[in-house]
Amino acid sequence: MTLGRIALVFTILSLLGFGGGNAIIPQMHADVVDQFHWITSAEFTRFFALGKLAPGPTTTMAALVGYAVSGLTGAIVATVAIFVPAAIVVYAAGHAWGKLRGNPWRERFARAIKPVVLGLLWAGVVTLARGATDAPITIGIAVVATIVMLRTEWNQAILVLAAGAFGAFVLR
Amino acid sequence: MGLALAFGRVSATAFGGGQMPAIRREVVRRNGWLDDDAFLEVLALAQLLPGSNPSNVAVLVGSRVGGMPGAAVAFFATVLPGFAILMVLGAFALDSHWPWVGGALRGCAAMAVGLTLANTIELTMKRINVVDIAIVAAVAIVVLVLHASLALTLAIFIPVALVLTRPKKDAA
Repeated sequence: MTLGRIALVFTILSLLGFGGGNAIIPQMHADVVDQFHWITSAEFTRFFALGKLAPGPTTTMAALVGYAVSGLTGAIVATVAIFVPAAIVVYAAGHAWGKLRGNPWRERFARAIKPVVLGLLWAGVVTLARGATDAPITIGIAVVATIVMLRTEWNQAILVLAAGAFGAFVLR
Repeated sequence: MGLALAFGRVSATAFGGGQMPAIRREVVRRNGWLDDDAFLEVLALAQLLPGSNPSNVAVLVGSRVGGMPGAAVAFFATVLPGFAILMVLGAFALDSHWPWVGGALRGCAAMAVGLTLANTIELTMKRINVVDIAIVAAVAIVVLVLHASLALTLAIFIPVALVLTRPKKDAA
Protein backbone atom coordinates (compact mmCIF):
# COMPACT_ATOMS: atom_id res chain seq x y z
CA MET A 1 0.00 0.00 0.00
CA THR A 2 1.80 3.07 -1.29
CA LEU A 3 0.13 5.67 0.93
CA GLY A 4 0.99 3.66 4.03
CA ARG A 5 4.59 3.42 2.85
CA ILE A 6 4.74 7.19 2.26
CA ALA A 7 3.37 7.76 5.77
CA LEU A 8 5.91 5.36 7.31
CA VAL A 9 8.97 6.73 5.45
CA PHE A 10 8.22 10.35 6.33
CA THR A 11 7.17 9.64 9.92
CA ILE A 12 10.55 8.00 10.57
CA LEU A 13 12.35 10.93 8.92
CA SER A 14 10.28 13.30 11.07
CA LEU A 15 11.26 11.59 14.32
CA LEU A 16 14.95 11.28 13.38
CA GLY A 17 15.22 14.80 11.99
CA PHE A 18 17.58 16.22 14.61
CA GLY A 19 19.19 19.50 13.64
CA GLY A 20 16.48 20.77 11.30
CA GLY A 21 15.36 19.92 7.80
CA ASN A 22 18.59 19.56 5.84
CA ALA A 23 20.17 16.88 8.04
CA ILE A 24 17.60 14.34 6.80
CA ILE A 25 18.45 14.89 3.11
CA PRO A 26 20.75 11.83 2.75
CA GLN A 27 18.23 9.46 4.35
CA MET A 28 15.28 10.92 2.43
CA HIS A 29 17.25 10.45 -0.80
CA ALA A 30 18.13 6.86 0.17
CA ASP A 31 14.45 6.11 0.81
CA VAL A 32 12.60 7.84 -2.00
CA VAL A 33 15.22 7.53 -4.78
CA ASP A 34 17.43 4.51 -4.08
CA GLN A 35 15.04 2.17 -2.29
CA PHE A 36 11.50 2.87 -3.53
CA HIS A 37 12.36 4.59 -6.86
CA TRP A 38 9.50 7.05 -6.42
CA ILE A 39 11.54 9.82 -8.10
CA THR A 40 14.96 10.22 -9.73
CA SER A 41 17.98 11.87 -8.16
CA ALA A 42 17.60 14.86 -10.50
CA GLU A 43 13.95 15.26 -9.51
CA PHE A 44 14.94 15.07 -5.84
CA THR A 45 17.23 18.08 -6.19
CA ARG A 46 14.58 19.98 -8.20
CA PHE A 47 12.03 19.34 -5.45
CA PHE A 48 14.57 20.60 -2.92
CA ALA A 49 15.07 23.75 -5.01
CA LEU A 50 11.30 24.35 -5.19
CA GLY A 51 11.17 23.85 -1.43
CA LYS A 52 13.79 26.56 -1.04
CA LEU A 53 11.99 28.82 -3.49
CA ALA A 54 8.59 28.61 -1.77
CA PRO A 55 8.08 30.31 1.59
CA GLY A 56 7.66 28.02 4.59
CA PRO A 57 10.05 25.27 5.72
CA THR A 58 12.20 23.61 2.99
CA THR A 59 11.07 20.30 4.53
CA THR A 60 7.72 20.89 2.79
CA MET A 61 9.48 19.39 -0.26
CA ALA A 62 8.18 16.07 1.15
CA ALA A 63 4.78 17.17 -0.23
CA LEU A 64 6.20 17.14 -3.77
CA VAL A 65 7.54 13.61 -3.29
CA GLY A 66 4.09 12.49 -2.09
CA TYR A 67 2.49 14.32 -5.04
CA ALA A 68 4.79 12.57 -7.52
CA VAL A 69 3.83 9.17 -6.08
CA SER A 70 0.07 9.52 -5.50
CA GLY A 71 -1.18 12.98 -6.40
CA LEU A 72 -2.74 15.40 -3.92
CA THR A 73 -3.58 12.65 -1.39
CA GLY A 74 0.08 11.57 -1.39
CA ALA A 75 1.16 15.18 -0.91
CA ILE A 76 -1.09 15.61 2.12
CA VAL A 77 -0.06 12.27 3.67
CA ALA A 78 3.65 13.08 3.21
CA THR A 79 3.25 16.56 4.68
CA VAL A 80 1.35 15.35 7.74
CA ALA A 81 3.86 12.51 8.25
CA ILE A 82 6.97 14.73 8.01
CA PHE A 83 5.66 17.52 10.28
CA VAL A 84 3.19 16.19 12.84
CA PRO A 85 5.24 13.49 14.68
CA ALA A 86 8.11 15.91 15.33
CA ALA A 87 5.64 18.60 16.39
CA ILE A 88 4.18 16.26 19.03
CA VAL A 89 7.67 15.45 20.33
CA VAL A 90 8.53 19.15 20.46
CA TYR A 91 5.29 19.98 22.29
CA ALA A 92 6.01 17.33 24.92
CA ALA A 93 9.67 18.30 25.21
CA GLY A 94 8.80 21.98 25.59
CA HIS A 95 7.12 21.13 28.87
CA ALA A 96 9.90 18.87 30.14
CA TRP A 97 12.66 21.28 29.10
CA GLY A 98 11.94 23.88 31.76
CA LYS A 99 12.58 21.29 34.45
CA LEU A 100 15.96 20.47 32.93
CA ARG A 101 17.11 24.08 33.32
CA GLY A 102 20.63 24.03 34.67
CA ASN A 103 21.04 20.30 34.11
CA PRO A 104 24.57 19.78 32.70
CA TRP A 105 23.36 17.03 30.33
CA ARG A 106 21.29 19.54 28.47
CA GLU A 107 24.40 21.57 27.60
CA ARG A 108 26.40 18.46 26.82
CA PHE A 109 23.81 17.08 24.42
CA ALA A 110 23.50 20.46 22.70
CA ARG A 111 27.29 20.55 22.32
CA ALA A 112 27.66 16.95 21.11
CA ILE A 113 24.95 16.97 18.46
CA LYS A 114 26.39 19.94 16.51
CA PRO A 115 29.28 18.15 14.73
CA VAL A 116 27.06 15.11 14.08
CA VAL A 117 24.45 17.29 12.37
CA LEU A 118 27.18 19.12 10.47
CA GLY A 119 28.48 15.80 9.10
CA LEU A 120 24.94 15.00 7.94
CA LEU A 121 24.71 18.43 6.28
CA TRP A 122 27.92 17.74 4.31
CA ALA A 123 26.55 14.37 3.23
CA GLY A 124 23.37 16.20 2.19
CA VAL A 125 25.30 18.69 0.05
CA VAL A 126 27.06 15.84 -1.79
CA THR A 127 23.75 14.00 -2.21
CA LEU A 128 22.10 17.07 -3.73
CA ALA A 129 25.09 17.86 -5.93
CA ARG A 130 25.03 14.38 -7.47
CA GLY A 131 21.54 15.05 -8.81
CA ALA A 132 21.97 18.68 -9.80
CA THR A 133 25.48 19.42 -11.03
CA ASP A 134 25.48 17.25 -14.14
CA ALA A 135 27.07 19.58 -16.69
CA PRO A 136 29.68 22.37 -16.81
CA ILE A 137 26.92 25.02 -16.76
CA THR A 138 25.15 23.64 -13.68
CA ILE A 139 28.50 23.17 -11.90
CA GLY A 140 29.29 26.79 -12.79
CA ILE A 141 25.97 28.00 -11.35
CA ALA A 142 26.60 26.11 -8.10
CA VAL A 143 30.13 27.54 -7.77
CA VAL A 144 28.95 31.09 -8.44
CA ALA A 145 26.09 30.59 -5.95
CA THR A 146 28.51 29.42 -3.27
CA ILE A 147 30.81 32.41 -3.74
CA VAL A 148 27.95 34.94 -3.87
CA MET A 149 26.38 33.49 -0.71
CA LEU A 150 29.68 33.55 1.19
CA ARG A 151 30.46 37.13 0.16
CA THR A 152 27.11 38.94 0.09
CA GLU A 153 23.86 39.21 2.02
CA TRP A 154 21.64 38.82 -1.05
CA ASN A 155 18.24 37.20 -0.60
CA GLN A 156 18.26 33.48 -1.40
CA ALA A 157 14.93 33.46 -3.20
CA ILE A 158 16.15 36.16 -5.61
CA LEU A 159 19.28 34.10 -6.35
CA VAL A 160 17.22 30.96 -7.01
CA LEU A 161 14.89 32.93 -9.31
CA ALA A 162 17.87 34.43 -11.16
CA ALA A 163 19.33 30.96 -11.70
CA GLY A 164 15.91 29.80 -12.89
CA ALA A 165 15.69 32.64 -15.43
CA PHE A 166 19.23 31.84 -16.63
CA GLY A 167 18.40 28.13 -16.87
CA ALA A 168 15.18 28.82 -18.80
CA PHE A 169 17.26 30.32 -21.62
CA VAL A 170 20.46 28.31 -21.46
CA LEU A 171 19.50 24.84 -20.19
CA ARG A 172 16.30 24.01 -22.07
CA MET B 1 -5.93 34.47 16.40
CA GLY B 2 -2.83 36.62 16.74
CA LEU B 3 -0.75 33.45 16.55
CA ALA B 4 -2.41 32.37 13.29
CA LEU B 5 -1.80 35.78 11.73
CA ALA B 6 1.78 36.08 12.92
CA PHE B 7 2.97 32.64 11.85
CA GLY B 8 0.75 32.53 8.76
CA ARG B 9 2.19 35.82 7.55
CA VAL B 10 5.73 34.46 7.85
CA SER B 11 4.88 31.18 6.14
CA ALA B 12 3.20 32.94 3.22
CA THR B 13 5.83 35.60 2.62
CA ALA B 14 9.28 34.53 3.86
CA PHE B 15 10.64 33.44 0.50
CA GLY B 16 14.18 32.16 0.36
CA GLY B 17 14.79 30.80 3.82
CA GLY B 18 14.58 34.08 5.72
CA GLN B 19 12.03 32.65 8.10
CA MET B 20 13.78 32.75 11.44
CA PRO B 21 14.46 36.52 11.41
CA ALA B 22 10.86 37.04 10.27
CA ILE B 23 9.51 34.84 13.08
CA ARG B 24 11.66 36.66 15.64
CA ARG B 25 10.30 39.99 14.43
CA GLU B 26 6.71 38.78 14.86
CA VAL B 27 7.21 37.07 18.23
CA VAL B 28 9.57 39.50 19.97
CA ARG B 29 9.08 42.91 18.41
CA ARG B 30 5.60 43.00 16.99
CA ASN B 31 3.65 40.99 19.55
CA GLY B 32 5.96 40.93 22.57
CA TRP B 33 5.12 37.30 23.39
CA LEU B 34 8.73 36.54 24.36
CA ASP B 35 11.77 38.70 25.07
CA ASP B 36 14.99 38.12 23.13
CA ASP B 37 16.51 35.80 25.74
CA ALA B 38 13.42 33.61 25.88
CA PHE B 39 13.30 33.53 22.08
CA LEU B 40 16.94 32.38 21.87
CA GLU B 41 16.17 29.67 24.41
CA VAL B 42 13.21 28.50 22.34
CA LEU B 43 15.32 28.57 19.16
CA ALA B 44 18.07 26.49 20.79
CA LEU B 45 15.53 23.87 21.85
CA ALA B 46 13.91 23.89 18.39
CA GLN B 47 17.28 23.24 16.76
CA LEU B 48 18.07 20.42 19.15
CA LEU B 49 14.85 18.46 18.69
CA PRO B 50 13.77 16.57 15.58
CA GLY B 51 11.76 18.50 13.01
CA SER B 52 12.13 21.59 10.87
CA ASN B 53 13.18 24.64 12.87
CA PRO B 54 10.34 27.03 11.90
CA SER B 55 7.58 24.54 12.76
CA ASN B 56 9.33 23.64 16.03
CA VAL B 57 9.60 27.30 17.04
CA ALA B 58 5.92 27.73 16.17
CA VAL B 59 4.91 24.83 18.45
CA LEU B 60 7.04 26.09 21.36
CA VAL B 61 5.95 29.73 21.10
CA GLY B 62 2.31 28.77 20.49
CA SER B 63 2.25 26.51 23.55
CA ARG B 64 3.71 29.25 25.76
CA VAL B 65 1.19 31.80 24.54
CA GLY B 66 -1.93 29.62 24.37
CA GLY B 67 -1.29 26.07 25.58
CA MET B 68 -2.14 23.13 23.34
CA PRO B 69 -4.59 25.09 21.12
CA GLY B 70 -2.00 27.83 20.69
CA ALA B 71 0.63 25.29 19.67
CA ALA B 72 -1.73 23.72 17.13
CA VAL B 73 -2.75 27.09 15.64
CA ALA B 74 0.86 28.32 15.31
CA PHE B 75 1.93 24.97 13.84
CA PHE B 76 -0.74 24.86 11.14
CA ALA B 77 -0.21 28.54 10.34
CA THR B 78 3.47 27.73 9.71
CA VAL B 79 2.92 24.67 7.54
CA LEU B 80 -0.27 25.32 5.54
CA PRO B 81 0.46 28.52 3.54
CA GLY B 82 3.92 27.25 2.52
CA PHE B 83 2.37 23.90 1.56
CA ALA B 84 -0.31 25.54 -0.60
CA ILE B 85 2.17 27.79 -2.39
CA LEU B 86 4.60 24.91 -2.96
CA MET B 87 1.85 22.71 -4.41
CA VAL B 88 0.86 25.43 -6.89
CA LEU B 89 4.51 25.95 -7.84
CA GLY B 90 5.06 22.20 -8.10
CA ALA B 91 1.93 21.47 -10.12
CA PHE B 92 2.96 24.14 -12.59
CA ALA B 93 6.64 23.25 -12.78
CA LEU B 94 6.43 19.46 -12.69
CA ASP B 95 3.47 18.88 -15.04
CA SER B 96 4.73 21.38 -17.59
CA HIS B 97 5.65 20.34 -21.11
CA TRP B 98 7.44 23.55 -21.99
CA PRO B 99 11.17 22.93 -22.26
CA TRP B 100 12.09 26.26 -20.65
CA VAL B 101 10.45 25.21 -17.39
CA GLY B 102 12.74 22.16 -17.22
CA GLY B 103 15.73 24.41 -17.88
CA ALA B 104 14.63 26.85 -15.20
CA LEU B 105 14.28 24.00 -12.70
CA ARG B 106 17.79 22.72 -13.51
CA GLY B 107 19.14 26.22 -12.94
CA CYS B 108 17.27 26.57 -9.64
CA ALA B 109 18.49 23.15 -8.48
CA ALA B 110 22.14 23.99 -9.19
CA MET B 111 21.71 27.29 -7.35
CA ALA B 112 20.15 25.50 -4.38
CA VAL B 113 23.22 23.23 -4.17
CA GLY B 114 25.46 26.31 -4.06
CA LEU B 115 23.33 27.96 -1.34
CA THR B 116 23.41 24.81 0.78
CA LEU B 117 27.16 24.36 0.25
CA ALA B 118 27.85 27.97 1.28
CA ASN B 119 25.69 27.59 4.36
CA THR B 120 27.48 24.37 5.34
CA ILE B 121 30.92 25.95 4.82
CA GLU B 122 29.95 28.86 7.08
CA LEU B 123 28.72 26.50 9.81
CA THR B 124 31.94 24.46 9.52
CA MET B 125 34.18 27.53 9.87
CA LYS B 126 32.77 28.01 13.38
CA ARG B 127 33.91 24.54 14.43
CA ILE B 128 37.51 24.31 13.28
CA ASN B 129 39.07 22.04 15.89
CA VAL B 130 40.38 18.48 15.74
CA VAL B 131 37.50 16.79 17.58
CA ASP B 132 34.67 18.48 15.69
CA ILE B 133 36.23 18.08 12.26
CA ALA B 134 36.97 14.40 12.96
CA ILE B 135 33.32 13.79 13.90
CA VAL B 136 32.03 15.76 10.90
CA ALA B 137 34.29 13.82 8.50
CA ALA B 138 33.49 10.44 10.06
CA VAL B 139 29.72 11.06 9.87
CA ALA B 140 29.90 12.23 6.25
CA ILE B 141 32.02 9.22 5.21
CA VAL B 142 29.85 6.70 7.04
CA VAL B 143 26.72 8.11 5.37
CA LEU B 144 28.10 8.64 1.86
CA VAL B 145 30.49 5.71 1.46
CA LEU B 146 29.09 3.04 3.78
CA HIS B 147 25.46 4.15 3.22
CA ALA B 148 24.67 3.91 6.92
CA SER B 149 21.08 4.79 7.74
CA LEU B 150 20.24 7.96 9.64
CA ALA B 151 19.04 5.93 12.64
CA LEU B 152 22.29 3.95 12.82
CA THR B 153 24.43 7.06 12.27
CA LEU B 154 22.72 8.89 15.14
CA ALA B 155 22.84 5.82 17.40
CA ILE B 156 26.61 5.50 16.90
CA PHE B 157 27.77 9.09 16.71
CA ILE B 158 25.71 10.85 19.37
CA PRO B 159 27.25 8.71 22.17
CA VAL B 160 30.71 9.02 20.56
CA ALA B 161 30.32 12.80 20.32
CA LEU B 162 29.07 13.00 23.92
CA VAL B 163 32.29 11.31 25.06
CA LEU B 164 34.64 13.26 22.78
CA THR B 165 33.13 16.67 23.56
CA ARG B 166 32.76 16.17 27.33
CA PRO B 167 33.91 19.14 29.37
CA LYS B 168 37.51 18.90 30.49
CA LYS B 169 38.27 18.82 34.20
CA ASP B 170 39.88 22.05 35.33
CA ALA B 171 43.63 21.53 35.68
CA ALA B 172 43.90 24.36 38.17
